[in-house]
Amino acid sequence: MSIINATNIHRRFGEGELEAHILKGIDFSAEAGEFVAIMGKSGAGKSTLMYQLSVLDDPSEGEIIIDNVDVLKLSEHERTRFRLNTLGYIFQNYALVPDLTAEENVFLPLLMRGRDWKEAKEIARAMIDEVGLNDKYTNLPAELSGGEQQRVSVARAMAGKPKILFADEPTANLDSVHSAQIIDLITEFNKKLNQTIVMVTHEREYAMGCDRIIHMEDGVIIDIEKLR
Amino acid sequence: MRSLRIGFLLGMRQIQRASLWTNILIVFVMALTFLNLIAVSGVLVGLITGAERAVRAESLGDIIITERDDQNNILETESIIRQIKTYPEIETYAVRYIGAGRLEANYKERRDLSGERDIAQVTVTGIDPIQEDTMSHLSDNMLEGEYLDPNEEGYILIGYYYLQEASDKFGDIFDSLSNIKPGVTVRMTVGDISKEFIVKGIVQSKVDEVSLNTYITEKEFRRLFGRIDRNADRITIRVADNVSEDSVKATLIESGLGQYAKIQTFEEGKPKFITDIKNTMNLLGTFIGSIGIIVASITIFIIIFINALSRRSQIGILKGIGIERKAIEIAYVLQAAFYALAGSACGALLTYGFLLGYFERNPIKFPFSDGILVAPPDETFLRFLVLFAVTLIAGFLPAWMIVRQNTLNSILGRK
Repeated sequence: MSIINATNIHRRFGEGELEAHILKGIDFSAEAGEFVAIMGKSGAGKSTLMYQLSVLDDPSEGEIIIDNVDVLKLSEHERTRFRLNTLGYIFQNYALVPDLTAEENVFLPLLMRGRDWKEAKEIARAMIDEVGLNDKYTNLPAELSGGEQQRVSVARAMAGKPKILFADEPTANLDSVHSAQIIDLITEFNKKLNQTIVMVTHEREYAMGCDRIIHMEDGVIIDIEKLR
Repeated sequence: MRSLRIGFLLGMRQIQRASLWTNILIVFVMALTFLNLIAVSGVLVGLITGAERAVRAESLGDIIITERDDQNNILETESIIRQIKTYPEIETYAVRYIGAGRLEANYKERRDLSGERDIAQVTVTGIDPIQEDTMSHLSDNMLEGEYLDPNEEGYILIGYYYLQEASDKFGDIFDSLSNIKPGVTVRMTVGDISKEFIVKGIVQSKVDEVSLNTYITEKEFRRLFGRIDRNADRITIRVADNVSEDSVKATLIESGLGQYAKIQTFEEGKPKFITDIKNTMNLLGTFIGSIGIIVASITIFIIIFINALSRRSQIGILKGIGIERKAIEIAYVLQAAFYALAGSACGALLTYGFLLGYFERNPIKFPFSDGILVAPPDETFLRFLVLFAVTLIAGFLPAWMIVRQNTLNSILGRK
């Protein structure tokens, strides 16, 4: 059964002659536990598609059902709650809060979910251990390397055990060694927690562990490659 | 509750990780605002409070006994004094006889009898010099010459404002006499009776009632004014330390003295204009302080706005990962609250730890009073609450403006 079901998604920016039609009627679905990669050249619309699917942006047209919820009908507050409880994110630029330590970055969404301080801290530390940073709990993001920051970002995304994880070019700013580590972590969590993962990437090498690769070009899906 | 918890964490960490100098600068600005709010009105009110204190110390005392509205003098003055002496709560007192007379100077040197005479209409106060000095320390106000001796007769003390030189400074609003200095002879006329006095000294004080007065001994006053009944016009009382004026007043009334005279505490008996000026000064200080509040709120607004704007992407990410808007707004309001609290605490410390004591020891010398700094804790707290509330709003608004922007646009830094 599809956990993500998006139909006829259009996204336009600007108006009149300046209008840019980025997504041109995309249909997308993902099964629970599926690992899907979205690939394409720059400007193909892959990140824009991911923003629509991850409830960070509103399509100009179309319908998106996630986990049986018509997300476009949710209020701003309900969307925030939905993102908190159902979705996880890994951003290209790590997107950690610079003022918070590694463990605070990880337990922040857990506190928002209502976990108590001690419990949230324990879970956060366990997650940081899992991504191999057990000596960096109290380090600030600025005190971590790019690879380490992205691992904290993975830990934060996974700590709440979201049903769906969205990863927007998670290896874009990392060297090959760290990139491989991050992809391994994501793949491991996908298997262990049976999470649905939607990952945007440029590099085919890192998409090879996925179940499916969706190829985009100029705002449309041009090919769907099934790997498993 | 969750939002509060997260807002608290985010806010605290932002303050913690902010540059120390930035924090110090903002707290300094808030401390100055607090001082502006407290000290400006405090000094303005302090001018009047200084004058009020001087009037209490040098003239009216803590309790004032005057004639009843239907009488000309205090009835049974001597029995009142006898009773007053029995109360240990009363530290000291002074009996005053007050009248109006005409004082003439330079009449001996006057050659042209058709010319203008050097005359001043003056207030004359008859005192027991020792008793009066114990009560009001009148001898401390001697500008020139010497204080009255109770065993001598024919001497007078003249208030500085009756001197020509003072009159020139004050725009000639009082009657004045020229060439007055200790040793010269003046003539006092009351009704048909005239008596010559030698000027023993000139008294000057910031209390008008002292500088605009003449003092002779009570014996001579009674003779000059024909007051054979010994009924005085005013008895001023200084109560002992830590004794309430109200309780002493109540005791005096309970003992039946109310039937002979009007008994008032200083607060009741002080001239109403003092309270009126004080209120006006307070209002003026509040107005000036309000401008300070507006400036501070704009400062906080700009600081928080720049802070939130520079963290716009971070705010977007926080919203993206599910942190509620309210929590993010609380974080910024908390920062504003911290700056307001820290600034006010520094300001309060400076005010109560240093400025109050400093101005008490070194009052600001004004022509009409020695100004002190007045900052009653309850009023200070009220002003702090206003400053705090305004700062919170100034912190909330920019955060609200930034946080309500589109989440994705914030994350990507798009307009």
